[in-house]
Amino acid sequence: MKISQKIITNLKSGGADFFLSVPCKLLANMITILENDKNIYYSAIPREEEGMGICAGAYLGNKLPCIMMQNTGIGNSVNSIVSLLQLYQMPVVFLISYRGTPGEPVGAQGGMASITEDLLNTLRIPMLHCNTEKDLDKISTFTNHAKVIESPVAVLCNFNLMKDD
Amino acid sequence: MMNRFELLNLLQDSIQDELVVCNIGLPSQELYKINDRPNYFYMLGSMGLSSSIGLGLSLAVEKNVISIDGDGSVLMNMNTLATIGNRAPSNYTLLIIDNGSYGSTGDQKTFTNERTSLKNVAIGAGCHNVVECSGEETNENLQKALEDKDNAYVIISKIKSGNVPIKPIPLNAVTIRDRFRKEIGLVPYL
Repeated sequence: MKISQKIITNLKSGGADFFLSVPCKLLANMITILENDKNIYYSAIPREEEGMGICAGAYLGNKLPCIMMQNTGIGNSVNSIVSLLQLYQMPVVFLISYRGTPGEPVGAQGGMASITEDLLNTLRIPMLHCNTEKDLDKISTFTNHAKVIESPVAVLCNFNLMKDD
Repeated sequence: MMNRFELLNLLQDSIQDELVVCNIGLPSQELYKINDRPNYFYMLGSMGLSSSIGLGLSLAVEKNVISIDGDGSVLMNMNTLATIGNRAPSNYTLLIIDNGSYGSTGDQKTFTNERTSLKNVAIGAGCHNVVECSGEETNENLQKALEDKDNAYVIISKIKSGNVPIKPIPLNAVTIRDRFRKEIGLVPYL
């Protein structure tokens, strides 16, 4: 719970005030924290691509949205990232549980993991890698950076960082 | 039966300062041609997401929000009807212009021409106030939805397919974004 709490605290101090999630086991504690937080908006949603649309609307209404999802969700959302968020220059924070990184027990997650960073590079989305607890201190500044550059940014939380939280 | 251009024309009687998110392609181009306004957000990409963008906006602002969507686009993003059914606030209205065809790509038929009922899908997804009506009845239903401060609505307006000759919208995306946000009364972040 300590790692999850630190991530949420840093996202909020960076300005994020509107949260969506498509569930992941590694995000479960963060979801519990958000469900009990009366100071922000939070909802679970069925699919990441739809979430990009909801985030775009929330941004138009002056929120700084954060969508929490597995790295697989980037694959589900490529067109909406390019032809909505980037076309209109909309800041959104992607908080990504990076499945398929070392420690991952499910072999099938390896495929999307092997292309996740290339995909984000191709999309020109700035990445913050979180491998240790200390890395989490950078999330606040990185969240604010999304607003400054008016662009989506991606925070990648490795499996081993999250698994024992 | 009227076509989409005629319906969008008619809607100008109902829409005042409501925030409108309009579907990609011909619907936005026709709306632009009929009556361009800064409170119209023209969606230039991301087919399927007009309903979702409007939902996110309605969760962030107090004003009434209308998502104008199409049957083909809703079929592409049907999961969002479940989100709308469970989460849409009372200032949200989804207006689905159902002409049974993919108008912008050459009027190929959609499944609403066959066995699919978006009314039944929306109800099954959890939406409460779901109205299916003709193009002529759309304004009265939209007015009711906008005046009701306690409920979100899904209106499915059944019209015939067909398009008018039209050009792409001569506005870039960031211009559309900025004038829309200014209309809401927001200053830019920086």
